[in-house]
Amino acid sequence: MILLAILAAIFLMLIGVPVFVVICGLALYLFFTSGIDLSAIIIEMHRMATTPVLVAIPLFTFSGYLLSESGAPKRLIRLSNAILGWLPGGIAVIALIACAVFTALTGATGLTIIALGGILLPAMTRANYPEAFSLGLLTTSGTLGLLFPPSLPLIIYAIVAGIRIDQLFIAGLLPGILLVVLLSFFSIARAVRADVPKTRFQISEILSALREALWELPLPMVVLGGIYSGQFAVSEAAAITAVYVLFVEVIVYRDIRWKDLPEIMKKSMVLVGAVLIILGAAMGLTNYLIDAEIPMQLLDFFKTHIESKILFLIVLNLFLLAAGCTMGIFSALVVVVPLLTPIGAAYGMDPIHLGIIFLANLEIGASIPPLGINLFIASIRFERPVLRLYWASLPFIAILLIALALITYIPWISLVLLK
Amino acid sequence: MRNWQKWDDNLGRIEKFFIAGMLGVMILMAFLQIVLRNIFSSGISWGDPLVRYLVLWVGFIGASLATKESKHITIEVFSRWLSDRGNQYLKAISNLISALVCSLLVFAGGTFVLNEAQMGGTTFLQIPVWVPQIIIPVTFAFMTLRFSLRFFAELAMIFTSGNQTKHGSPS
Repeated sequence: MILLAILAAIFLMLIGVPVFVVICGLALYLFFTSGIDLSAIIIEMHRMATTPVLVAIPLFTFSGYLLSESGAPKRLIRLSNAILGWLPGGIAVIALIACAVFTALTGATGLTIIALGGILLPAMTRANYPEAFSLGLLTTSGTLGLLFPPSLPLIIYAIVAGIRIDQLFIAGLLPGILLVVLLSFFSIARAVRADVPKTRFQISEILSALREALWELPLPMVVLGGIYSGQFAVSEAAAITAVYVLFVEVIVYRDIRWKDLPEIMKKSMVLVGAVLIILGAAMGLTNYLIDAEIPMQLLDFFKTHIESKILFLIVLNLFLLAAGCTMGIFSALVVVVPLLTPIGAAYGMDPIHLGIIFLANLEIGASIPPLGINLFIASIRFERPVLRLYWASLPFIAILLIALALITYIPWISLVLLK
Repeated sequence: MRNWQKWDDNLGRIEKFFIAGMLGVMILMAFLQIVLRNIFSSGISWGDPLVRYLVLWVGFIGASLATKESKHITIEVFSRWLSDRGNQYLKAISNLISALVCSLLVFAGGTFVLNEAQMGGTTFLQIPVWVPQIIIPVTFAFMTLRFSLRFFAELAMIFTSGNQTKHGSPS
């Protein structure tokens, strides 16, 4: 009967019923049939929504939206162009960096391709990059940067798995850089082969671009400095970031007018609301599943069929790539994380490392055919058939999978900065 | 139908007003607490619970607005291979189910708030704890109404537009 209910829930998700409705519906059904008062699901939602650390979510999301609506992305592209434009493959590398930063700020919600794709695709085409290459790069970069703080999936993973956000923030840095660096090498190699023209290196342009972006350059320090030094908690760093970004964009640069603020606030809080309500719903369902000892049963199943840790990691990767491809990042986070963390612990995995593996898989899964969400967003944004994007993305997915293997099998990459 | 649409838009404006105000207070209060704590080694005792309840309100009002703007997170696999007509049916069914589940959540939320009120706990500034909590059933009620509104709109579209295929998505 429970199995039937779960199958019905999966079917409803596939026909487009909002994820939070399906999870709440399933939880309500399970509570009702086992004689638990229905208000239990609300108790869980309320408990989750008033967790002290949760204030980081609206504050970081608002800061990210504010930055993305300001001139910051343009200044970032100009500065990286001045610094890297003379390299072969310069524009491709710039595109990668811009996408990564933008995704970290706006939380991997599909905004990156929509907001930056329109600027970057023409720029790459003008610079003589083959179209398939440009399309593939921009499609797979739609979730690049998910491992960089303060991205929303990092925060949500930490909350759902019950690990420290600050540690996950720091652990994500090197793996995130690894993904960008590997893709950059690949892009440079392709650019050399395609004989892409370069811009000239001008120190004066660098200086003027630096001066223009002067106020935004300390942002990584504002976000991470206090956390890394242990001076501030994550929620405090989020408040400082919000105030700093408001000050810089509204008062210093005046990119955003005061009267535009309510609209930006609303837009960002609609995302926060949509995410929080799924999170709350999932907390209710998870508690039921734990009471019903579902994770323990899963664990027994794993333990009897998979003995070695290596094999477990391979199965984990395949499963999570499929989850990222089909379910999307946020749904996979709230549904799969509570089931998997006890299993990971049983195989002796570091919980922080498991989190990074988890997020890297979801990030890459979002570009994998046939259902990766990046492919569909890019198809709409660039007005190209999805099938063409499948082919264009394949080389990039191959590179990302290499990086994923490194991140999965070398825990050092994730954990060294924590020591 | 048109009156309901107007109601929906007006409610949306009020919600936006609340979100902007509350997020503004949240940012200022959270920042003020840091300044007080680090420079003056003091703090406002009701500041932290206030911020926590503001997150609750902003989150649930945001979720209600997400219903209005069809911004809830969905997985939607089948819709890509269906005709516009098929998608209308799918949307109608999806909105009906959502309205039903949300109405159950209004009931569950109401029970929760009543229980809390009976227990008579208080939070910051001696405010009864059920007062900030009431936002949960209230926003679920808004969501129920909005999903129902969407459902009837889709239904009307299916019955009136026999061969008219393209329809604007509510935004």
